[in-house]
Amino acid sequence: MDYLDERAALAVSRRRLLKAAAVGAGALATPVLAQALADLRLPGGPSRRPLASGFPGKGEMIVQRVRPPLLETPFSVFDRDVFTPADQFFVRWHWADMPTSIDVESFRLTVRGAVRQPISISLAQLLHMPRVEIAAVNQCSGNSRGLFQPRVPGAQWAHGAMGNARWLGVSLRHVLDLAGVRGDAVAVRFGGLDQPLVAGAPDFEKSLVIEHARDGEVMLAFAMNGEQLPMLNGFPLRLVVPGWYSTYWVKMLNDIEVLAAPDDRYWMEKAYKIPTTPGANVVPGAKGFPTVPIGAMVPRSWVTSLGEGQEIAFEPSIPLGGIAMGGDHGVARVDVSSDGGHSWRPATLGPDHGKYSFRRWDARVPLARPGRIRLMARCTSTAGVTQPMAPVWNPSGFMRANVEVTTILATR
Amino acid sequence: MAGRTQGFAPLAAGLIGIAAFVLIVVGPPGSRKPAPPPPVSAGPPPSSVSANGFTLTSATMDLPADDATYPDGPNADLVNARCSACHSPSMVLTQPAFPAEKWQEIVLKMRDVYHAPIAEQDIAPITQYLAARPVAD
Ligand code: HEC
Repeated sequence: MDYLDERAALAVSRRRLLKAAAVGAGALATPVLAQALADLRLPGGPSRRPLASGFPGKGEMIVQRVRPPLLETPFSVFDRDVFTPADQFFVRWHWADMPTSIDVESFRLTVRGAVRQPISISLAQLLHMPRVEIAAVNQCSGNSRGLFQPRVPGAQWAHGAMGNARWLGVSLRHVLDLAGVRGDAVAVRFGGLDQPLVAGAPDFEKSLVIEHARDGEVMLAFAMNGEQLPMLNGFPLRLVVPGWYSTYWVKMLNDIEVLAAPDDRYWMEKAYKIPTTPGANVVPGAKGFPTVPIGAMVPRSWVTSLGEGQEIAFEPSIPLGGIAMGGDHGVARVDVSSDGGHSWRPATLGPDHGKYSFRRWDARVPLARPGRIRLMARCTSTAGVTQPMAPVWNPSGFMRANVEVTTILATR
Repeated sequence: MAGRTQGFAPLAAGLIGIAAFVLIVVGPPGSRKPAPPPPVSAGPPPSSVSANGFTLTSATMDLPADDATYPDGPNADLVNARCSACHSPSMVLTQPAFPAEKWQEIVLKMRDVYHAPIAEQDIAPITQYLAARPVAD
């Protein structure tokens, strides 16, 4: 047993060394140290993360993990536009073995399994197919996990594991119909080019039930915000599942398998599961509760025009702005409070880019007196769901969606 | 709390693995767009495919290397050997303080789910290291 363990350890580290050598051979420039630090203000810490712009295709990002990259969008980015620039769009990979080079001529997407005719599609063929474009928020299931109390293991994100983009591509239904889905199909599984570092470990794959996969909205995107995807966001193709958490938005998508039985592999059966309770909420420490795979997102909103801890000159009334999302429905309204949630007033909603997009909101709020002020925004979706005041808790740190508080200091 | 840090290098663990990783940066931040013009000997331009007004161009990337290691402390060598193959140490160093039982659960998950090569006798010393790790603000 020990001998085998040692051999496995050696195999892993040898592979790792080879990879490191391959990276070195790229010889782009002299390595430098990241210098600036971001403070994520996570309860109990650690809260400081490097800010760096050295990742391929990426501007300044909060570095949660270098390998495989976990990069968070600095929160100030969300105040600039409801669409998140691709070069500051968050990045999240599970396994470090991913291609560092993709040739658009030889890349193929396969559609196989419970279909009449397995097919292999080139990118040139895909570009000839009818297109769909949709504005949609892509949010990690564990966005804001670092704010859970008590804290839970996993990527310790603040609120920046999300972004909104215009996704351009081809409807998944169109591609499935080309292969011809058989009558016994129940689900569709998606795999990308990333792979586990050790043999036998679970490859990252996700699936959707067949009705969802064929709803005409789920799509294979080859562009975001009008440009091809950055490699770290899934070039050349990624699945877009509007209204659903990012775990389903498989990157570097190259394999679509139609299943005649439910997906029982690790990433559907064991990981990314939530309690069946409303809001996925359980008592901290609870175990043995029933779970289901995570699915649709829920409404959220944030103040973006002022940052946590910011100092402003006192005025009897101040402008306030931010963003909201309705989850798998549109944003019906946003209400704001400047007195810790005692009184609320409606915000004015900005342009509507579709129900899956971020929506800008703006308002003016009164300030009672100088001092510490607790600002809040609260979104209600077109499905009539309003953000709760109290945070949820579950052991994986999924689906945080309560009203967030931004505390500022108004001085005279 | 002081007892927890005993045996660890005096350097705050929060800063290790936070500033100590190496990035390959193409120029200073803010000037990351254009690389210097390619030398004459550079290969052919990347291949591309186009249709209906959209072009996809072949891409390559150089991922930054990560030289960060786990901060010094009892069993640090073992943790470096067993917990850096699949992900950067920052996966661990960004975690908040957890009790030893929680860390043991995590170590066992690495072994049982992700096939991390961890021998039975390594579990206790790795867990001890993780539970004793000082956590910065
Ligand atoms: C064989 C590969 C492998 C090795 C070796 C490994 N891990 Fe992991 N670890 C993973 C994967 C895969 C994830 C999930 C990554 C993700 O979600 O991005 C992970 C995630 C984690 C997390 C986040 C919590 C979670 O459950 O996702 C922690 C903490 C962690 N690892 C600690 C460790 C420690 C401590 C060691 C050494 C005992 C270790 N890892 C060794 C593969 C590995």
